[in-house]
Amino acid sequence: MPRLSLYRENHSNDYKWQDNRIRELYTVGGVGINVHKYLGPKDQGQTTDLTQPQYPNQSVQNIQDLLFMENRDRSYEPNVYDLRGHYTIQDVDYNLQQFGLFVNQDTLYITFHTNDMVTRLGRKIIPGDVFELPHLRDYYPLDENLPAALKKFYVVQEATRASEGYAQTWWSHLWRCKVVPMVDGQEYRDILDQPANKSTDTTLRDMMSNYNINLKINDAVVAQANSDVPNSGYSTNSLYILPTADGISPIIAIPGYLTADGAPPNGLPVTVDTAFPLNPQQGQYVLRTDYVPNRLFRYSGTTWVAIQDVNRANITGANTNTQLGSFINNTATVKLTNGATVPSNQTLSNLLKLTPDKLG
Amino acid sequence: MGQFFYDKQIRRFMNQFVRIFSDMYVEFGKDINGNSVLYRVPCRYADTNRQVAAIMRQNSDNSINAVPAMVVYITKVDYDRARMQEPKFVDNISLRSRANDPLTGNVSSNQGQNFSVNRLMPAPYRLTVNMEIWTSNFDQKLQLWEQISAQFNPDMEIQSTDNYLDWTSLSYILLTGTNWSTRNIPVGSDDPIDVATFTFELPIWITTPAKLLRLGIVQSVVANVYDALGNPSQALIDQTNNLGNRQYFYTNWL
Repeated sequence: MPRLSLYRENHSNDYKWQDNRIRELYTVGGVGINVHKYLGPKDQGQTTDLTQPQYPNQSVQNIQDLLFMENRDRSYEPNVYDLRGHYTIQDVDYNLQQFGLFVNQDTLYITFHTNDMVTRLGRKIIPGDVFELPHLRDYYPLDENLPAALKKFYVVQEATRASEGYAQTWWSHLWRCKVVPMVDGQEYRDILDQPANKSTDTTLRDMMSNYNINLKINDAVVAQANSDVPNSGYSTNSLYILPTADGISPIIAIPGYLTADGAPPNGLPVTVDTAFPLNPQQGQYVLRTDYVPNRLFRYSGTTWVAIQDVNRANITGANTNTQLGSFINNTATVKLTNGATVPSNQTLSNLLKLTPDKLG
Repeated sequence: MGQFFYDKQIRRFMNQFVRIFSDMYVEFGKDINGNSVLYRVPCRYADTNRQVAAIMRQNSDNSINAVPAMVVYITKVDYDRARMQEPKFVDNISLRSRANDPLTGNVSSNQGQNFSVNRLMPAPYRLTVNMEIWTSNFDQKLQLWEQISAQFNPDMEIQSTDNYLDWTSLSYILLTGTNWSTRNIPVGSDDPIDVATFTFELPIWITTPAKLLRLGIVQSVVANVYDALGNPSQALIDQTNNLGNRQYFYTNWL
């Protein structure tokens, strides 16, 4: 008589019987979970970086960045898989960090029936797959004009066999996923760029992410900062200088650190041009824009006397007067002798990779 | 008697500080045409009270945080004794202002009011500010890091106002430290958001209000004028002149 043993080296009928009961248990008592299946990194086109190769086929086994070992541009299947899972609902607390409210203890451990999961999904769940828990939809957001309920997304961080999923045969029946709340990041653009519902152009990101409100806050702060300091340096526009030299107009501008904005003293009229006028009046001002930086002159009766070189600059926008404008916010282009036009803004590592001259 | 003054001095510096890191972008991969998809990274002050944070989240724990993002916050404000100067020094500056057009409210080309401004020596402080970069992957972090770190060489000027008379408005930002990551190596079961921290210091000045006075212009000079008729020694004892106790007043209309 052989030894009495429930263990078998293969999936026996005992295993199958138990597996079907567990599947039934999950079907009857589990919660529906929508799975956004990860397909692999998106094709980023031809590349010269050997550590970020272009793969011939999209595959979940591809690795986008072989140096930093990460998949940033992830592709998700547009179809959603409905699985049944089981997890313990828990209370959560908000944690007020620098970034705003985080939900503490919002890490769930969800178990799935392994064979059911593989049958429906075609593979086991892996880290990076995204769950939507329909039973956690929030139908009452603060903005009642939102076109749809707020969905609850989690992303899988770890996936392993569950210890509670081992039956008497020592074979595992359950797949355990550790999930954390999904963020609005580069990795999940495929999901969040989808419309919130069929009747609107509003995307899930527009509705659920704090990105837009962060931008509005940022813009408001910048607008105030721009009002406080519209240009670098100091404004002397409200100050008055007595024209003591000839009684016509001041022969100096108010001195100071970064006070020259090209405006003549006392707000007097100025001619902006690239040449001096032919018949100037004594005390007349001309701002020569062909000088770099622009230069303000005053006509003394016999001579055009330089009053100031403009040194105030717009801080936020692109300009050519500052190193910020000429090196970072540089949008200029350069027309080469071969007729090609290239951006003036070039990374040092690519300087020798400019388009070669046309031959012949 | 209680006195109140508040000029938003630190607040204005923080507005400008946020502005420095505004309008930065990272590349979010390529589109179907192979062009870079640029993504603007928001920057804002970090601390929020719970109500504001709940409003930003639609009062729902289903809302999601966007990354990458940058936040700034003050960690320290210390008196900077090494930069202390004569605390009781009062600087005086006289100025003429342009007149305001009563119809338009704009300044005109004519002379307006004239002032003397007394400015009391401001108190030196050193403001320590952290700026954090929140990213979801390493490549994002490197993109932001490269754009920021090249600009503080050796420092960056910052102004809280463009007022010509505000001698406390100009400061500079020193990058004094960095914390590369909040993640451990190897990456364990931690948060999907990685945080890198820049620490900056700003030597600033905190000032009392200035004292505004009407500019006193000399209209006439009154002085004793003595006529010794070419002989001062004699004039002192001369009964006619008697300079010891008499004064002669000369006016130009006599």
